Amino acid sequence: MTKIPHISSSISRLTVSLLLLVAGMGSTKAQVTKMFTLEKDSIPLFCGFSVSFDLVGPAMLLLNDHGEYEGALRVNLHDQWFPIFELGVGRANHKKDDITELTYKTTAPYFRLGMDWNILRKKHQPNRMYAGFRYAFTNYKVDIIREKMVDPIWQTQSDFGAEDMSCNMHWLEAVLGIDAKVFGPLHLGWTVRYKRRLFHSDGTLGATWYVPGFGTNDNDQLSANFNVIIDI
Amino acid sequence: MRKAWGWLATAFLISQFSFLIACTSIDCPVNNRVRTVYALMKADGRPDTLTKDTMWVWTPRVDGTDTLISRKQQNNLELNYFFGSSATTFELPISYTQPEDVLYVLVKNTAGTIYHDTIRIQKENTQHFESVDCQASYFHTITAVSTTHEIIDSIVINNPNVNYDQNTTHFKLYLKANR
Repeated sequence: MTKIPHISSSISRLTVSLLLLVAGMGSTKAQVTKMFTLEKDSIPLFCGFSVSFDLVGPAMLLLNDHGEYEGALRVNLHDQWFPIFELGVGRANHKKDDITELTYKTTAPYFRLGMDWNILRKKHQPNRMYAGFRYAFTNYKVDIIREKMVDPIWQTQSDFGAEDMSCNMHWLEAVLGIDAKVFGPLHLGWTVRYKRRLFHSDGTLGATWYVPGFGTNDNDQLSANFNVIIDI
Repeated sequence: MRKAWGWLATAFLISQFSFLIACTSIDCPVNNRVRTVYALMKADGRPDTLTKDTMWVWTPRVDGTDTLISRKQQNNLELNYFFGSSATTFELPISYTQPEDVLYVLVKNTAGTIYHDTIRIQKENTQHFESVDCQASYFHTITAVSTTHEIIDSIVINNPNVNYDQNTTHFKLYLKANR
């Protein structure tokens, strides 16, 4: 047989518990108040601008057949929030491939808009670590050419490809960054980016290869920037 | 200042790691052949085989003529597919850009009787690009197919889309039962 507790004993047990809780809270009230009180901060909300440019993209253009020139304007809000606008020009010039004989050319601008957060506990110091996101978009035209493509069976010859084919892509980026003050207004820093494609139009040939600002066309992409940053 | 360079060194290591992860790879499809797949069928819908018959298929090249038997002219014809007796399906190439492919089919039975037929495939051709590292190709949409009904009872389009997918049957080919 199950024992059913009397209702009056339950009420008295609850009353005693609440009294003990209130008594305990009285002793820790000072700590709780301290915990939720905002510390007064002498740093203003608006702390200035910084401009930056990336060195990895130009290096890739120098060493490879595709890359970017990219700059950014960042607002410093209380050394904690950093709204950012990035603008760049992506370029690919893949000359006639030795194996596939395909030529690929594009030059187009792209932009990114987003926000970084300084994730360090001590925010008001020269070195920062960021986590952030970007929304990015590019509208680009591409030339894909494969001349004199011969059908191995029927021996017909055709010119494959398209010129000035209009394409676009929207994507999101998750950013982890770090920057360090070198001297005066000069900072140097790295960002590592995970890019995720949202929407895309690849023209009439099924796909494109290099997308300005995104890199080689895929569902996702990982990249890094090395930034020279100047506080204004 | 020393602290700053320490930060940069750490960041550099992180970025190198990310570059290793992001190392470019060539992502061409494993199967990058564009072929048509034919299934031999009986009139009741069951798979057919050639049993002891043999089949050849030719197609004229752009400079070829349409005669089959002449040895001299066979040199101008490219396809010469031979199928074993147990074959129930077979693959044939499809032209890159021609609006119509013409295939000459020749079936020889065990008594030595030769039957020949002609298949005409009308199609739309679409350029297909994957990457500069992958060969350019053409995909196709089959719009019509016809035969001269000499040995082929009928041919039916099963899937009109011809691309890298080789796990589909594009045509169902019904040979006459009294061959």
